[in-house]
Amino acid sequence: MTKRIRYPLLLCLQLVTATLVLLPFFWMFSVSLKPATEPFAIPAQLWPDNPTLENYILALRPEFQRYFLNSVIVCGATLLITIPLALLAAYSLSRFQFRLLSVFLGAVVLAQFFPAGAMIIPLYKIVRSANLLNTYLGLIIAYITVTLPVAIWMLRGFLLKVPKTLEEAAAVDGASPLRAFFDIVVPLARPGIIATSVFVLIVTWQEFLFALSFTSSKEMRTLPVGMNDYIGQYGIRYGELMASSVMISLPVIAIFFFLQRQFVAGLTAGAVKG
Amino acid sequence: MWMAYGFMMPAAILVAVLMYWPMIATVRESLFTTSFINPKPQFVGLKVYADIFSDPVFWQVVRNSIVWTLGVVLLQNVLGFFIALLLNQHLPGQGILRSLILLPWVLPGVVAAILWRFMYDPQLGLINSFVLRFGLADRGIAWLADPSIAMAAVIFVAFWKGFPFSTVIFLAALQNVDQEQIEAAKVDGAGPVRRLFDVIIPAIIPVAVVNFLLTTILTFNYFDIIYVLTRGGPLNSTAIFPTQIYEIGFGQFRFGEAAAYGTLSVVILVMIVAVFMLIRRPLLSHREV
Repeated sequence: MTKRIRYPLLLCLQLVTATLVLLPFFWMFSVSLKPATEPFAIPAQLWPDNPTLENYILALRPEFQRYFLNSVIVCGATLLITIPLALLAAYSLSRFQFRLLSVFLGAVVLAQFFPAGAMIIPLYKIVRSANLLNTYLGLIIAYITVTLPVAIWMLRGFLLKVPKTLEEAAAVDGASPLRAFFDIVVPLARPGIIATSVFVLIVTWQEFLFALSFTSSKEMRTLPVGMNDYIGQYGIRYGELMASSVMISLPVIAIFFFLQRQFVAGLTAGAVKG
Repeated sequence: MWMAYGFMMPAAILVAVLMYWPMIATVRESLFTTSFINPKPQFVGLKVYADIFSDPVFWQVVRNSIVWTLGVVLLQNVLGFFIALLLNQHLPGQGILRSLILLPWVLPGVVAAILWRFMYDPQLGLINSFVLRFGLADRGIAWLADPSIAMAAVIFVAFWKGFPFSTVIFLAALQNVDQEQIEAAKVDGAGPVRRLFDVIIPAIIPVAVVNFLLTTILTFNYFDIIYVLTRGGPLNSTAIFPTQIYEIGFGQFRFGEAAAYGTLSVVILVMIVAVFMLIRRPLLSHREV
C-alpha cells in the first residue's frame, strides 16, 4: 500500500479506537451534568443545554458517604495487610531455594486462579460462624484471598531483579540478614511495591462478589454494592447514577494517572518476562 | 533458613486457610443438601450432581460459559493486538491515547456495567440513538432483554473493559521486538504483511500465550459485568458459572447445589485450559523451526 493511502487510513483507525475508548466516558460525564428537569432528547443529545452540578449534590447523600467510607476502610486495611505479608513471602521465594518453598510458590501461583465462586460457600460459612458477616474484618478476610497471591507473584518478579550482590556486600560488612532486608531490599523494591499497591487498590476498590454476599445491612455496603442497589432505587434517574459513577471512579483513576508510569512498567515487566 | 520459612509462613498460612481449605471444603459441601426451609445439611452423596446433570439449565450454563469466555478472550486479544500494532506506528496524538487507553480497565466493573446498561437502554441509550439516526432499525433495539442478542451485548462490554490490558501488554512486547530483524526483513523485500507474520508475530507468541491464558481464566470467573447487566437473564441466556453460583447460593440458599456448581466450574475451567495448552504446543514449537 502506498504511503498516501496508508497514513490517512491509520489515522482513521486511531480515531475509531479513541472514540471506542472515550465516548462512554464522555457520555457518563455529560449525563452527570444534565439537569433533572431537562428531558432526555430522543435520539440522545451529546451535551446538555444547561450543564449543572446538581446531580452531584443529590448523589452525595449520607448513604453514599457511608459506602465511600466503608470502601476506603476495607480497601485501605486490605492493602496494609497484603503488602507487608506479600513482601516477606516474595522475598523468601526470590532468594531461597528449598524444596518446600517451591511447593509454596506453585501453590501461590495456582491460588491466583481459584474461582471465587468455587470458594465462596465455605468462606461464607467460616465468616458467618466467626460472627463476622456485616463487619469490616469479614470483608477484609475475603479480600485477602483476592489480593495476596497476586501481590506475592508481582513482588517476587520485582525482587528477582534486585541484585543479590548488595545484600552479600552488606553481610560482609556485618549487617544481619534482617537489616539487609529492611535497609537495602525494601528501598530498592519501592517501585515494585508502588506498582503492586496500585494494582491491589484497583482490584479491591471494584470488588463486588464478596462484598455483595458478605454484607446484608445497608450500613456495611461498599461502593460497588451500593451502586448496584441504586439501579433498583433510582433506576430512571440516570443523571444521579452517572454522577455517583464519576465520583466512585475518580479516586482510582486519579491514583492510576498519578502513578501510571511505574504501574504500567511493573505490569508489563511481570507479564512480558514472567 | 529460619528467615526463608519465617518470612513465608504468615502468607502461607493465610493462603492455606482462606483459599485451599475452602476449595476442598466446597467439594465436601457439595455432597450435602441444604435449603432455605431446611437449613440443616443432610448427607446425600452424589445425588446433588445427578440432579444437576439432568437439569437442562446446567448445560445451558456450561454452553454460555464457553461462549462468553471464548468470545471475550478472542475479541480482547485479537483486536487488542491490532490496536497495539496501531498504537506502535508513531502517529500524531498517540502519546495521549496511549495514556488514556487503560481507562476502561481501571474503571470499576460495576460502574462499567451500569454505564453500559445505560448505553444499551432501548429509549435513552446512546447506541440506539445512533441506530435510529442512521436508520438501521425503525425502533430502539432491546439489547439486554432479547435472549438472542443479550450474550453478544454482554461480551462486548467485557471486551471494552478488558482489551486495554491486552493492548498494553502487547505494546510492551512489540517494543521488545528486535528492530534489526524487522530492518533485515525489509531489506529482503518483505512487505508489511509478511513482516507481521514472519517476524513480529513469532516474536510475540510467548507473550500472547500468557495473555490468552490469563484472560481465559479471569473471564471465566468474571461475575460483575453479567450480574449487573442482566443477572444471567433473560431466560438464562447469559447465565454463567459465577452468576449461577451466586443465584443458587445466596438467592435461594441452596448451599450444597451452589458448592456443586463451584466444583464443576473448576472442572470445566481446567478442561478449557487443557484444550488451550494442547493448541499452544504446536504454536510454540513452530517458532523453533
